[in-house]
Amino acid sequence: MRRSKWQIPYEFALLVLGLAFVSPIVLIVLNSFKSLKEITAAPLGLPSHLAVTNYSDLFSKVDLGVPMLKSFGMTAITILCLVTFAPMAAYAMNRLGMAGARFWRNFFLIGLIVPFQIVMIPLLKEFRFLGIHYTYLSLLLVYVSGGLPLAIFIYSGFLSTVPKELDEAAVIDGCGPIATFWRIVFPLLKPCTVTIVIFWGLWVWNDFLSAFIFMGGTRGDLAFLRLFTLLQDKYVKDWGTIFAGVVVLSAPVTVLYLTMQRHLVKGLTAGAMK
Amino acid sequence: MRHGNRLAAIVLAGPAILLYGGFLVLPALLGFGYSFTNWNGWGKSPQFTGLANFKELFSDDLFYSSLRFTLTETVLTFLTFTFGAMVLAVLLDRVKLMKGLIRSLFFYPYVLSLLVGGLLFQWLSNYRDGAVNTVLRGIGLPTWAKEWMGPNWATWLLLAFVTWSALGFFTTLYLANLQTIPEDMYEASELEGAGPVSVFRHIQFPMLVPTITTNSVMSLIFGINLFGQIIVLWDKPRVDTYTVAYYIYRVGIEGNRQGYATAISLVVFIALAAIAILQVRLLRTRQVQQ
Repeated sequence: MRRSKWQIPYEFALLVLGLAFVSPIVLIVLNSFKSLKEITAAPLGLPSHLAVTNYSDLFSKVDLGVPMLKSFGMTAITILCLVTFAPMAAYAMNRLGMAGARFWRNFFLIGLIVPFQIVMIPLLKEFRFLGIHYTYLSLLLVYVSGGLPLAIFIYSGFLSTVPKELDEAAVIDGCGPIATFWRIVFPLLKPCTVTIVIFWGLWVWNDFLSAFIFMGGTRGDLAFLRLFTLLQDKYVKDWGTIFAGVVVLSAPVTVLYLTMQRHLVKGLTAGAMK
Repeated sequence: MRHGNRLAAIVLAGPAILLYGGFLVLPALLGFGYSFTNWNGWGKSPQFTGLANFKELFSDDLFYSSLRFTLTETVLTFLTFTFGAMVLAVLLDRVKLMKGLIRSLFFYPYVLSLLVGGLLFQWLSNYRDGAVNTVLRGIGLPTWAKEWMGPNWATWLLLAFVTWSALGFFTTLYLANLQTIPEDMYEASELEGAGPVSVFRHIQFPMLVPTITTNSVMSLIFGINLFGQIIVLWDKPRVDTYTVAYYIYRVGIEGNRQGYATAISLVVFIALAAIAILQVRLLRTRQVQQ
């Protein structure tokens, strides 16, 4: 498109709009450096001095360090499960002539529509029955089982771009189907795997509701649950510490976002184009 | 060879099928089954009550008010994410110099946790010392400072929150679709002296139909299932801000009436599936006509 003389003012207008859009976040960062009195007195000004106590409190009083590690672990294990089980299933259902492949593909598609409310309580009951209710394992099962339909869907779409000839060549070379999958097909699925890692990294780390429900409220020792306990202070919420908590917990996701932006967009659009 | 493949397929797909089947399909089926009982969610064994739950639902006033609220904000959400996002995408698509930066700004809120967003909006919308009202009073517009969490503005606050957190997502989908429009179509229209509005009407809009389909279905499902947003925005939501999804949660977990709750979920699920299928059919035929 030809550049007109309005191009620069136009972009500036949108830039201002964009900055306004994220201004609440900037406000939170600024306010995380203020004391509680200062926040209520002047919510919009620059902090008079950098009250780092809000941040140190996070680790001394609120003890956010351990829950953060646990959340991180939960995220990592979920991702590991998804990037092994999902592509395996996608390969089996789309390329290996699996018995009843069509049925299984539809079987997984239904999972994309089912609303959360229907499974919430029966799942809790099932976990109680299995003796694992309110444990990290149960939450992990929720994340992985819930994520499989979409992950398989995404991998299936991407799989169709991997040429079948490669499978056949491997077979001729004497490779069994499972070896063919791991040695030849899976490495080629890397861009897809990166997308899955980014999406679920984001979703599992950020998750609050499922963790709340399946770990029995704030009994669970995870990052955002711990942050939530700060919000439950009936009297005066310690906004300074809360904001500092928000900044700290949003940091990994922000870093991920800034470095992986292009992949995020690519992944979203690849899925949408189906 | 074939048999080897069949066996391998079972081995490879096995874990996924077991996990998904055991921890998503099974509870869902159980859930549907429970809607015909009077189960309370834990202790007591449920007794079969046939269609009693559904009959009760038919005359449940609270359900109807939550349905009304859900419908209102679903329509608003639908309009915002199907058309609002499209407009924003078209505007952003014309940005050449600061493309990455500006698009990131709009996408960033999507990346934050729902809890963070809810917290933020709670803090912004507080009547006494929230940021929005403080600004309004500061610049001399005290009458504009409203009770945003209150009954008159709740719908708009919710819409603002939902829009802020998810607009980037829907806009990105439109932007991706816009990338697929070939340059020569734009060049041809430029030679004919077409202005931006004309370009939108005749080139961009028709080419965006696939994403319009996707976004309209997704935003509808999103609007109807609105649940987490209500909880993080209002710690104790008032009755007039109940969405259907939240009402199901209230009835089921806090009200200890899981049988009834799952009955409502079943009805919602069927309605949703019907709407989604209808929508896709309608839009698919339009797509083919293009």
